[in-house]
Amino acid sequence: MRRDHGCRRADHEFSRRGFLATGAAAGVAGLASPAVSKQLRKGQKRVLQIYLQGGVSQLESWDPKPGTRYGGPFRAIPTSVPGMHICELLPHTAQRMHLLSIVRGINLKTNSHHDGRLFMEMGRRSGSFPYVGSIAAKHLTPANAPLPGYLHITTRGLTDNTNAFLDARHAQLKLAGPKVPDNLIRPDALTVQAARRSGELLKRLNRRFSGRGGQKAFTDSYNASFEMAEKLMARRDLFEGKPDPKDLQRYGSHPFGRNCLLARTLLENGATVVKVTHHGYDTHAENFNFHLEQLGEFDNTFCMLLDDLHQSGLLENTLVMVMSEFGRTPKINVRYGRDHWGTAWSIAVGGHGLVPGAIVGATNKEGTEVSEREVDGGHLFHTYLQALGLDSTANHDLGGRTVPIGDPTRSPIKELLA
Amino acid sequence: MPVFLRTRDTQMLATACMLPFLIVTQAIAAAPESTFPSRIDALIEARLKDFSTHASPICTDAAFLRRVTLDLTASIPTAAKTRAFLKDTAPSQEKRSRVVTELLASPQHATRMQYLLDWLLMERRSSENVASAQWQKYLRASAVANKPWDELTREILADDGGDAKTRARARFYLDREFDLTVVTRDVSRIFLGVDLECAQCHDHPAVTAYKQQHYHGIKAFLDRSFLFTDSKSKRKSLGEKAEGDVTFTSAFDETKGKTAPRILELPELVDPKDTLKQYITKPAKNVRSVPRYSRRRQLGEAMTVAENQDFRLNIANRLWAVMMGRGLVEPLDLRHAANPPSHPELLSLLGDALHQHKYDMRWFLGQLAHTRAYQRSSVTRPDSATVANRHYAVGLLKPLGPEQYAWATMEATGFLEKVRIDARASLAAAAKKAAAKKGSKKKAPKAKTAATPPNPPTLADIEAAVRKTVAPHVKTFVTQFAAQGGQKTTFSATAPQALFLTNGALLREWLKPAGANLLARVSKLDDSQAVAEELYIRILNRLPTESEQKEVAIYMELPGKRVDVLGELAWALLLSAEFRFNH
Repeated sequence: MRRDHGCRRADHEFSRRGFLATGAAAGVAGLASPAVSKQLRKGQKRVLQIYLQGGVSQLESWDPKPGTRYGGPFRAIPTSVPGMHICELLPHTAQRMHLLSIVRGINLKTNSHHDGRLFMEMGRRSGSFPYVGSIAAKHLTPANAPLPGYLHITTRGLTDNTNAFLDARHAQLKLAGPKVPDNLIRPDALTVQAARRSGELLKRLNRRFSGRGGQKAFTDSYNASFEMAEKLMARRDLFEGKPDPKDLQRYGSHPFGRNCLLARTLLENGATVVKVTHHGYDTHAENFNFHLEQLGEFDNTFCMLLDDLHQSGLLENTLVMVMSEFGRTPKINVRYGRDHWGTAWSIAVGGHGLVPGAIVGATNKEGTEVSEREVDGGHLFHTYLQALGLDSTANHDLGGRTVPIGDPTRSPIKELLA
Repeated sequence: MPVFLRTRDTQMLATACMLPFLIVTQAIAAAPESTFPSRIDALIEARLKDFSTHASPICTDAAFLRRVTLDLTASIPTAAKTRAFLKDTAPSQEKRSRVVTELLASPQHATRMQYLLDWLLMERRSSENVASAQWQKYLRASAVANKPWDELTREILADDGGDAKTRARARFYLDREFDLTVVTRDVSRIFLGVDLECAQCHDHPAVTAYKQQHYHGIKAFLDRSFLFTDSKSKRKSLGEKAEGDVTFTSAFDETKGKTAPRILELPELVDPKDTLKQYITKPAKNVRSVPRYSRRRQLGEAMTVAENQDFRLNIANRLWAVMMGRGLVEPLDLRHAANPPSHPELLSLLGDALHQHKYDMRWFLGQLAHTRAYQRSSVTRPDSATVANRHYAVGLLKPLGPEQYAWATMEATGFLEKVRIDARASLAAAAKKAAAKKGSKKKAPKAKTAATPPNPPTLADIEAAVRKTVAPHVKTFVTQFAAQGGQKTTFSATAPQALFLTNGALLREWLKPAGANLLARVSKLDDSQAVAEELYIRILNRLPTESEQKEVAIYMELPGKRVDVLGELAWALLLSAEFRFNH
């Protein structure tokens, strides 16, 4: 668990490394066999973010309190980590807890979906800051990446300003599941030849316009948007192919299963940050039935994805987070529901840069408050970025203005960093 | 005062002759010292040593027409207007001045202001508690009347949403759910140009000018108010208590503070005597309480008093940024001692002028359009440093806002022309019908009715009808191109936007030949020179250069159906960066 906390600036170091890596990749690209370039790509750090939307109950997942006043009907089961117990609704995940760690002492001090979600993503309680995925995409996506850096698979369309003041290249690109994104397909009336030659004309016009001056960041961003669009169009196959029936059987043929299969495909094909949203945890009524159903779907599918990433070696370079906007109240309401609860809840994390099999923090006996190592979205944010080798205490340089990347009043959970 | 581009400079530039761009040899006639635009230019040009060596010349007439039409009316000029303007042999400054006056008087200018005010005040928030149509109607009426900014501010900050007639004004509060943190922050950002977010919990660690008491001083105007939901109608409005004070504790050193309502460093507003706990409507269950003395109602007044310099500096900076592409203070809401304006005297001049002219935004925008700073070419001189950008020595690129982008695209493709023709026809038909009905009601002799021609529809009527027809398309562009958040001068483009432009059905539809639209027109033209001219005039509002004409001619030789090839050309020009930006 030793980690060098000397004052080497990770962001500087990173960009140097990034430069070498891209330089090397570019040099080899002409000669490299697919295996070699795959090898190179494997070295690229990635992020897999599973978002359990609505607020998963910590009591029915990572922090069970069976037999207590608010414990609910489910038991706790042992896991592959001696002494670690999680809820029996996650039997498959329990067998893989040696790959993951649990943070049990989260207190966001908010019970609002909106505020909780933003706090967990931006590491700031309020204001407009880039999401962790946007920052990771900015720093980890190689210049020659075959896909846009930050992809979010979700069946609902909330409009998030994920990149805040960062360039739109690092904004989240939404995919509505394993189907071809909007406007990805060339109109029928347009021949390949016509598309190519008019595209070339457009590039020529734009080069000429950039040449007359003007703010370079503007013209660069405009031109880059077409390059990213081209990348997506070139990988239309990723969205079109029918999944392998065997895979479908393993992952489940429900939307979450299909979405996680797509996440695997995207990670394998050079995406940097992939977020998958599993909707429907806002269980104000019938909390137990809903969690039985929802987590049943999550548990199996997530484990298949985790296994595949583990087996292909990708997990080594991939930071994994299973998070929500908050947990659920210990108190069970009259409709057998649990309500919003940002006060004492948990998430699971694993993969690159993190210690596996650990439990950090704790809640009291009935789960009504954090009793040990209280953290919030700010601490988690620093932890994610530092796990990825990025200096979260450095600044975003906005040309004349600097903004601290992570909240300066928070620090990473050091005991979790590998 | 230095006169821009003295003949000597012009000759020097011309002899240097490595410049690929057109030099307007005709120097602007020296404006009298006293005019407002010339005072602006004097301050701009004195701020940078060797300004003239960095300065781009005044832009061409074509560039000016496109620029000012977009800035003042949210769209590009029509082909007819462009041609007429280029043909007009009047002195350049005279016709430029004339066009500014025309544009400011047009109904389209109100449309532009409506969009700007919406963006500025609501920052692309979705409509939650106040219907969007109601809000737009209010903005429209304000823009048409050229309502002064201070008056608009007072209306918006005073309304509680209780009266159905003025409820739209309360959207600023109501669609922020009257979240006290959000509302306090946004009031200071949007109306004062300072972002007190961090000052909420402590004096700002980096920005020493932002004090915790500033945040809480603004908050004290609002803190007695609360969001009230009527139990029957479920309609939300603001209630207010007649008691409660704002106290705060620093998160750093536990020091405690207390403040009455106050605007930044201005004195505190003391509540009038004997108003504590005095109500017009007393608080009770399901009752919206109204105090005798409302602290919230003082906010607009306190904000707009002459002593409050921040109010005028903020709006001056924001309107300057609209026209010039960059605020004198950037980011627009972060003015403080350590982030001073790039041109402090200029900002004071602008703020004072706005104040003296009773916050007449239409006048102000028109004045800015007359400056050399506004009229400079956006083509950077090859020998110029990037310092030129910060010093307005070169025209800056301004990304088209989503609404501008929609209108410009519809104009360029000729879709808008069809909408205008249809609107005129249907308005004329409706007027004729109404006149006939009126005539028959009066039982006037038939011959007489026929003799009274119906009033022709006014420009404003046509504009309103057109606006209604294209509203869904404007909305599509807003969905695709608007980022959440307030006014800023940065730009970034996304892959889904590029896909929308490349493969989206809407643009491709507008690029199909129909009626007298762009493609139908160019398809009928014989030679490539005429095609190039038509495409460039309609899409880029200028004539093509010789090499661009050649480029079009060569493209037209490519295999394929003529109409398809022309469609490809039009598509590429429409997606070009030159179209995407106001330059």
